[in-house]
Amino acid sequence: MRPIAYLLLAATSLLGAVAAETRPHYGGTLRVMLQSAPSALDLPANATPAEYWDLSRTLSLIGNTLVSIDAQGRPQPALAVAWQSDASATHWQFTLRRGVKFHDGSAASPAAIARILGALHSGWNVRPVADSITIESAPPLPSLLAELALPRNLLLKRNANGAPVGTGPFLVAEWQPSQFLKLAANEESWEGRPFVDAVEIEFGKTLRDQAIALELGKTDVIEEVPQTTNGSQPRSTASVSLPTELLALVLSVNSRANDPRLREALALAINRKPIQSVLLKGAGEPAASILPNWMTGFSVVFSAQANPQEARILLADSHQPAPNLTYDLSYDPRDPQAQLIAERIALNAREVGITVQVSLSGAEDIRLVRVVLPSPDPATSLSEAVRQLGLPRAAFSATAGGDTLEDLYQTERSLLEAHAVIPLFHLPVTTAEGARVRDWSPERRGQRSASRLSLADFWLSDLRSTASRADLPAQAGSR
Amino acid sequence: MSFRKKLLLLFALTVLACVAVISISVYSTIRRSFEQADQDRANAVAAQFRSEFQRRGSDVARKVESVAASEAVQRIALDMNRGGADASEYVGEARSLAGQQRLDFLELVDTHGTILSSAQWQAKFGYPEAAIPQTTIPQATIPQATTPEAAASDARSPTATVTAGPFLKREELPDGATLGLFAVRVARVGEQPLYVIGGERLDQAFLSTLDIPAGSRVMLYQNLDAKWNPKSLLDLNGPAAGADQIAPLVAKVRDTGQESQSVIHWTADPADAEVFHAIPLSGRNATGPRAAGSEPDASSANQQPLGVLLVGTSRRPLIELQRRVISTAMLVGGAGILAAVLASLWFAARVSRPVVSLAEAARRVAAGDLDARVEVESTDELGELAASFNRMTEDLTEQKDRTVQAERVAAWRELARRLAHELKNPLFPLQVTVENLMRAKEKSPEMFEEVFREGTATLLEEISNLKTIIGRFSEFSRMPQPQRHPTQVNDVVCSVLRVFLAQLQAKNEILVRTELADRLPEISADSDLLHRALQNLVLNAIDAMPQGGELTIRTLSLGDRVELSVSDTGSGLTHEECGRLFTPYYTTKQHGTGLGLAIVQSVVSDHGGKISVESTKEQGTTFRMELPCDFSAHSASLR
Repeated sequence: MRPIAYLLLAATSLLGAVAAETRPHYGGTLRVMLQSAPSALDLPANATPAEYWDLSRTLSLIGNTLVSIDAQGRPQPALAVAWQSDASATHWQFTLRRGVKFHDGSAASPAAIARILGALHSGWNVRPVADSITIESAPPLPSLLAELALPRNLLLKRNANGAPVGTGPFLVAEWQPSQFLKLAANEESWEGRPFVDAVEIEFGKTLRDQAIALELGKTDVIEEVPQTTNGSQPRSTASVSLPTELLALVLSVNSRANDPRLREALALAINRKPIQSVLLKGAGEPAASILPNWMTGFSVVFSAQANPQEARILLADSHQPAPNLTYDLSYDPRDPQAQLIAERIALNAREVGITVQVSLSGAEDIRLVRVVLPSPDPATSLSEAVRQLGLPRAAFSATAGGDTLEDLYQTERSLLEAHAVIPLFHLPVTTAEGARVRDWSPERRGQRSASRLSLADFWLSDLRSTASRADLPAQAGSR
Repeated sequence: MSFRKKLLLLFALTVLACVAVISISVYSTIRRSFEQADQDRANAVAAQFRSEFQRRGSDVARKVESVAASEAVQRIALDMNRGGADASEYVGEARSLAGQQRLDFLELVDTHGTILSSAQWQAKFGYPEAAIPQTTIPQATIPQATTPEAAASDARSPTATVTAGPFLKREELPDGATLGLFAVRVARVGEQPLYVIGGERLDQAFLSTLDIPAGSRVMLYQNLDAKWNPKSLLDLNGPAAGADQIAPLVAKVRDTGQESQSVIHWTADPADAEVFHAIPLSGRNATGPRAAGSEPDASSANQQPLGVLLVGTSRRPLIELQRRVISTAMLVGGAGILAAVLASLWFAARVSRPVVSLAEAARRVAAGDLDARVEVESTDELGELAASFNRMTEDLTEQKDRTVQAERVAAWRELARRLAHELKNPLFPLQVTVENLMRAKEKSPEMFEEVFREGTATLLEEISNLKTIIGRFSEFSRMPQPQRHPTQVNDVVCSVLRVFLAQLQAKNEILVRTELADRLPEISADSDLLHRALQNLVLNAIDAMPQGGELTIRTLSLGDRVELSVSDTGSGLTHEECGRLFTPYYTTKQHGTGLGLAIVQSVVSDHGGKISVESTKEQGTTFRMELPCDFSAHSASLR
C-alpha cells in the first residue's frame, strides 16, 4: 500500500491547495477506547460481539490473513497473492506474497505460515511447497477462502512474552493486560507504513466514559455514536457498517417455553419497529432471518411483522407447562441496549398473554443474544451464527458445504421453523471518531461498508492536540 | 336437703347472681368502651392516612408541576406541537427528570395518551397510559383557555378532570405491579398538551410516615393480583408476617368494597389478639379518577379497591382489664359468697331453729311421745306455728288419755261381758243340776241317789269347765318372755303335726299337706312359744273345717326372714272379722275364748315378727307369720 500512498500523495500535491485540507498527514498517536477488557491478545471462541470486534480489530492491526473478503463477498489477496483448488475442494494451494517479514524480522516463509495454520486447524494438512503452501482436508472445504479471511485465522506468532507477532502495519510496543495496548507503526509493513506513528488502546472503558472522553478530546476513536446535544455542533463523525450482528432471542432445548406454538406466538408478539426506532435509535434492520438481506438477498421472504392477534390464537392452542407461568428472559448485562430491548420484548409478550420476566438470575427460558456475522460470505456467517447461538449443528450440517443461495435458504428456513431462535434485528457496528481523525480508505467514504474500520487507514489532521497517554513525542513527519 | 341448707344455697346463689350481673354489666361497658376507642383510633389513623395521602399527593403534584414546567418537558412539548417529536430522544428523559425530582414514577404522555417516556419502565414508550383516558384527549382544534370564562370551562373539561387532585393508581413495572400515589399535570406549549404523570410508591416507606398511636400498627394490602397474595401485605418492615390470618378480612373488603373489622388471634393467648379495621382504598380506574378513601360511586361499584388499609389495635389492654375485672369480680363474689354463707348461716339458724324444733317434736309425736313441746320464741308465723303445734300435741294427749280410758272401760266391759258369758254358760247347768237335786230330794227320794250321781257328775263337769275358762284367762295373763335358741321352724311344724296326728287321722275328712322349704335358715326363737302359736293356728284351722277340707302348712325363706303360713279351706272370714280377729276375747266360734289368736299375735310380736291374715269367704283362710332370723337385731332395731 505504501507505493499507492506515495502516488496518491504525489497526485494530491499536484492538485495544489484545492485538496490541501484532505491531504493525509503522517505522524501522531491515534487514541482508541474500547469497552472490552481482554486479558490476552487472542480471539477466544466464546467472545461476546464487543470482545470479538474489539479484539479482531486490534489483532488485524498486528497480523494478516492469507486472503480477505471484500464487501461483495469476493476473496481478495492478502498474504496470499494467488490460490487454486481441485474440483472436490479438498486440496488447496496458496501462493504467498514474497518478502514479507514478521515484526521480529523473521521471514513469513511458507514453512512458517504452514506451521501457524497447521496449529490453528488440526484437521487440515498444511504443508509448504516452494513459495506456496498446500492445504488438504478430508472433508471438502468449499468456503475455505472465507474461513481463511476470518480474524481467527490471522497469521500470528507469539514472542517470549506471549505477545502476538505478525506481519501487519503495527507491532506491539506495550501491553498491559485488560488495560492498555500500545502499537507502534511497522516501518517494514508490506502494506506500507501506516499514517499514524502509534495507536494507543485503552480497554475496559464504558460507553459513557468513551463518549465523554471523545467530547473532551481525550480520545480519537470510540465504539458508540454519542448522542449529540441539541443545538451544539457535533465534534465527532460516525462510521456505521453494514449490519454484521444479529440480535435474536434464543430458546434453548431446556427452556420451559418448549411448545412450538408458544414460541411462534412469542415471535409474532414482538413489535420490532418501536424497538428499532426508539431503543436502537433507528439503527439496524428488523430481522426475521439469521443472515441480513445484504448478505443473501432472500431475507425479505421471512416476515418480521408483529401479529398480536395471531399470537393470541396460537397461544390459546399451545400447551404451557403450567398456567400463568412466568418465563425468564435473560440478557447480556454488558450490552447497554439489551436490558431495555428485553423489557420491551417482555411488554410485547405480556400484551398477548405470555408472562415474561426480565431477569439475570432466572431459569433462562429465553436469552436475548447478540451474535457476530463475521464474514460477508453468507455460508461462513451462517455457520458462525449457528455456533454462537448454540443451535444444533445437525440442522445446519445437512446442507453444510452448499454454497448456493437455495441451500442457504433451505438451511435458514429449517432453523427458523423450529423457533429455537427468533431473529430480531441485524445491527451495524458503529464507531465514532474525533474531529481530527481522517479515514483514507476510499471505499468507506460516504457509504456503509461491510468491512471493519481499519485504523491503519486513519490519519490525524491536527497533530498539535495529540496528547499521548504515554507522553510519547509526536513523530509527525518522521516519514 | 335440709331447710337450712336450702336457705344457705339460696342466699349464696342470690349473692353470686348479683355479683355476676354486676360483673357482666361492667364487662360489657368496658368492652363497648374499648370497641368505641378502637373505632375512634382506626378512624383517626384512617383520617391521618387520608391527610398524609393528601399532603404527599400535594407534594407529588408540586414535583410533577416542576417537571411539567421544566425546560426539557417544555422542549418536548414544543417538539410535539411542531410535529417533530422523536421518541428515541425522550426514552431516558423521564428517568432523568424523575431522578431530579425524586419521584418514583414519571411518564410523559402525548396528546393521544401514548407514553413518550417512562421512568419506571423505559421500554413502555408507545403504549397507552390508562390514567389518561381517551375521553380526556382534547381535539386539536380546542384553543387554550385564556379568559376567565374559558378557564372555568377548561376547569370543567376532561383535561381538568385528568389533572384533578392526587389519586391512587396501580402501576405496572417490569418486575410486577405496585401501588402509587400519582398526580397529573399538563405542559401546554401549543394546542396539544403534554401530560406529565408522576408519582411515588405507596408502600412501607409511606406507612412509616404515619404517626401511629401506641398499641396500634398499620398495614397496607396492595390489591394488585386477582387472588390473595401474602407478599402484597406490607407493614413498616416490608412484607408482613402472618399475612394469611388477615386474608379473610382483606378478602371481605375486596369483595364488598366496604370497611370491615375482625379480631385476629395470633396465638392461643387472647391478649395477643388484635382488632383490625380494614379500610378500602379506591383510586383511579378506567372510567375516571376518584379521590382516595372516598366512598365508591355507582360506576365503580363492581371494581375492587386498589388497596386495603389495615389498622390493627392490640387487645392486650382490653383483655388485661377484663381479666382484672373478672378477678376482682371473683374476689368480690367469693367474699360476698363467704359473707353470705356466714350471714345465711346465722339467718338460716335463726329462721330454721323453730322449724327444726317443730320437725323434732313432730318426729317424737310420730314415735308416740305426745309430751313433745316446741319452745315458742317469736310472735311471727313460725311462733304461731309452734304454738299451734303445742296445742295440737296437748289435744292429742288429752284425746289419747280419753281414748285409753275409754278403751280401758270398753276392755273391762268386754272382759266383764266375756266373763259373764263364759261363766254364765256353766252356771246355768249348775243351777239346773242343783235345782234337780233339790226337786228330786223333795219329790222322789228313791231317785235321789241316781239323780244325785248324775247331778254331781254334771256339776263336776261344769266346774271343770269353769276351771278351764279361768285357766285360759290366767294363762293369757301369764304369757312368758321367749327363751331364744336357734330354732328350725320346720322342726316346730313337724312337732305340732305329731300332736294333731291322731286327731286328724280320726277325722279323715281333713287332708294335711306340708310344703316345707329346704335349707330353711334357723331363727332365734323360743320353740315352745312357737309351738303353742302354731298349735293354736292348726286348731283354728281344724275348727274352721268341720266338714273336712285341706290343711296346708308352708315354710318359706325370705332372706333374713322366715315365713310360716297355715291355710285352710274352711268357710272363711268376713273383712270385718279379719279386722277384729286378733282382738283379745273376740271369737267367731261357739265355745271359743277369743284368746287363741291373741296369744299367737303376742308370740309373734315377742319374736319381732308380724302376722297377717288373708281370707276369702267360702274359700278359706291363710295366716302368715314372718319371723326374723336375727331376732336380737330386730328386737334392737325396734328398741
